[in-house]
Amino acid sequence: MTRSFQAIVVGAGPAGSSAALAMARAGLDVALLERGNFPGEKNMFGGLLHRMASLEEHIPGYWRKAPIERHVNKKSLTFMNADSTVNLQLESGGFDRAPYNGHTVLRPKFDNWLARQAVKAGATLITRTMVDDVIVEQGQVKGVTVLGRTGKLSAPIVIAADGVLSFTAAKAGLRSPAFKPGRMAVGVKALYDLPKQVIDDRFGLVRSQGVANEFVGCTAGVRGGGCLYTNYDSVSVGLVVHIDSLQKSRKTPCELLNAFTAHPHLKKLLRGGRLMEYSAHVIPEGGYKMVPQLVGNGILVAGDAAAFCNVTGLHLEGVNLASHSGILAAQTVIEAHKTRDFSAQGLQGYTRLLDNSFVMQDLKKFKRAPGLLHNDRIFNAYPELACRLMEDVYRIDGTPKKGVAKLAFSAVKKTIGVKNIARDLFSAWRAL
Amino acid sequence: MNIDEILDYTSFTIDREPHIIVDQTVCATCTSRACTTACPGGCYNWSQSDHRLSFVYDGCLECGTCYIVCENKAFTRWRYPRGGFGVSYRMT
Repeated sequence: MTRSFQAIVVGAGPAGSSAALAMARAGLDVALLERGNFPGEKNMFGGLLHRMASLEEHIPGYWRKAPIERHVNKKSLTFMNADSTVNLQLESGGFDRAPYNGHTVLRPKFDNWLARQAVKAGATLITRTMVDDVIVEQGQVKGVTVLGRTGKLSAPIVIAADGVLSFTAAKAGLRSPAFKPGRMAVGVKALYDLPKQVIDDRFGLVRSQGVANEFVGCTAGVRGGGCLYTNYDSVSVGLVVHIDSLQKSRKTPCELLNAFTAHPHLKKLLRGGRLMEYSAHVIPEGGYKMVPQLVGNGILVAGDAAAFCNVTGLHLEGVNLASHSGILAAQTVIEAHKTRDFSAQGLQGYTRLLDNSFVMQDLKKFKRAPGLLHNDRIFNAYPELACRLMEDVYRIDGTPKKGVAKLAFSAVKKTIGVKNIARDLFSAWRAL
Repeated sequence: MNIDEILDYTSFTIDREPHIIVDQTVCATCTSRACTTACPGGCYNWSQSDHRLSFVYDGCLECGTCYIVCENKAFTRWRYPRGGFGVSYRMT
């Protein structure tokens, strides 16, 4: 297979398909390469797709057309210890109306749909094709070689949207060959089948309402957290853990996930559910500090490949950043085709567009958050404190009650220490 | 539920050709063997009797964890499976 295009996009995930869609709509001859049998076959995430404002410009009301599971109007944060939970829940009226703030989706369906929109706009989707290397001529990326369907594809510009490990960006010399385990997390997830009616009743939902629940204190001391997302008639349950901390614990992701789903609280939520699928993937969680070089001669990097994940503990965003960066990369390529300048210099518009967008601005704003999340106490002592304190506040045992302030002070002393809590509050305030 | 049972719920199209190859001589000298615990698919196992790392790529979820935890650059090959092969998520 030897063909030439005006642009090659590596990876038909949210970044790649958004880029291909925008370029195809502008009339460019675009190849969208996917190593799976279909787009989405290799893709997994926790389950919550945040609002993609820039995709709305290309596909107004995309949530009415895309295969979404539920819109999320309930956000819960649950602190837990071995047998108790403290829950903080937002049930939002605003998130219950269009334009919805987020949806649960299943990636094999959603990514396939998004790639099809690019195809409808005129992009050429080539599946079962893994990019093996970039073709470089006189310091300029000129295309890629592929495995699966074997051959060479050439184009004056390549967009690397091939995910977190982006070998395309690595081979073009844009990212360092090794990753720091402290900047990476791994997510594991189990999908449980449950009837829609059961999900609605169990989680207090009507129509296509959904819940996104995150958990802290459920990872046996490993830095990380849990999540539960309701799909139409299934529930996604997963854990995301820092790889350096996982490594140190000598625990397997699978045993951590088993322990999480065996917690009395989770057991109730999953009762009757049948395991349907198990999946895992690495997540770039280093934030702003791990963003690679985004522009090279004849190449741009977008999505997870560019480490565009905003993980602050409160925010867990990736797909919306991916899609937006893909669209900005597309705009840059459309401009470059006008000026015929595909050098790194000529493609600098991409960095400017990113700097002016929420993608870079959020990553910059929260650049201290990944460091904050390296505090072990968040994943162990704080959930323990929350559970103990609330228990103490509500406990009735025939003895005179203590004041809440006194209870809080003694609970802090027992779990975290007064000095530590002051230090942690200060760094949290700076980071968030 | 153990890892083998969990993986029964995930589909794979297995290639004849491995997409990951480890250098046994490097693995034999490794002390941390982080891959044996961190891999979500449980693809890496250390055999004390053979003093050898066994690696089965059949259940590889292509997640990238081993690529990140390996401190000794033991991979003589680490790429994704050829197009059309490997893990095949149907729902997730």
